[in-house]
Amino acid sequence: MKLIFTLLLLISISYASVVDEYLVTLGAQAKVENPNFKGFDAKRGEIIFTSKHIGKKGKEVSCVSCHGDDLSKASKNFFTAKEIEPLSPKANPNRFSEVKTIEKWIRRNFNDVYNREGTTLEKGDVVTYIINK
Amino acid sequence: MKSLILITALTCAVFAGSFNKAGVAPVTNELYKKECGSCHFAYQPGLLPSKSWDKMMLNLSDHFGSDASLEKEDYDSILGYLRKNSAEKFMNYKRSARIVNSLRAAETPESISKTPYIIKKHKKIRADLITQQEVKGIFNCTACHTTAQKGIYSERDILIPNFGKWED
Repeated sequence: MKLIFTLLLLISISYASVVDEYLVTLGAQAKVENPNFKGFDAKRGEIIFTSKHIGKKGKEVSCVSCHGDDLSKASKNFFTAKEIEPLSPKANPNRFSEVKTIEKWIRRNFNDVYNREGTTLEKGDVVTYIINK
Repeated sequence: MKSLILITALTCAVFAGSFNKAGVAPVTNELYKKECGSCHFAYQPGLLPSKSWDKMMLNLSDHFGSDASLEKEDYDSILGYLRKNSAEKFMNYKRSARIVNSLRAAETPESISKTPYIIKKHKKIRADLITQQEVKGIFNCTACHTTAQKGIYSERDILIPNFGKWED
């Protein structure tokens, strides 16, 4: 039994996507920061993604302002009108395919919307929400 | 026939000044396109002098109010590309030459739309056509310049949303 479990675990690890691995790393970090950490939550992530805040430009915005309500569709940058490709990895396989790019956009966009960087818990929650939406 | 060609060429040269190419040199760097073209049009480096690019690159974490910060390796690579291809290095292109020639010596414009040449060229456009949803501002070249991606900004290629062709 133990052997089967180990094999299954190994298989699942080897097939894990970039974003799954990223979430595992973030989860380990979250556990260090808070021993009571029980896992990331898409519901909390949804609130992070959809709630409005006074952002870096002094305007009230949310992630939705640029990425739109439907993450499977292209949207437009709220400030520049430049088209933004769908954020959902289900609709756009390029999304969440590289840790460097994930971290860059999370850093930038938390600053843009929240005027500060996201916490480990917030980052994990919002990524969990986006990839499952 | 030969003399006709020669006369035409000479006339062009006289009227054109030192440049012999239309527009501005197109963008050739994929990293630049990816990193700078995600949020806005990937402006050709030949639209600003290197002193302006240098100034802009000093504060990417507050880039016109947005966080556009880069990893060190990407930052270095993009700054190098901008410096190598800035307006004063491509004076054989009409728009680069016009932009550079419009600058006062002590001036370092913080954006393309703050250069005297670009201000002058957009002066006659009605304010509401610039601020409308489809355009948002002078910074949005592609909203009206249908060939901006190719580095061509000629009058015959202008199509202003909710207005139409532009004739100066």
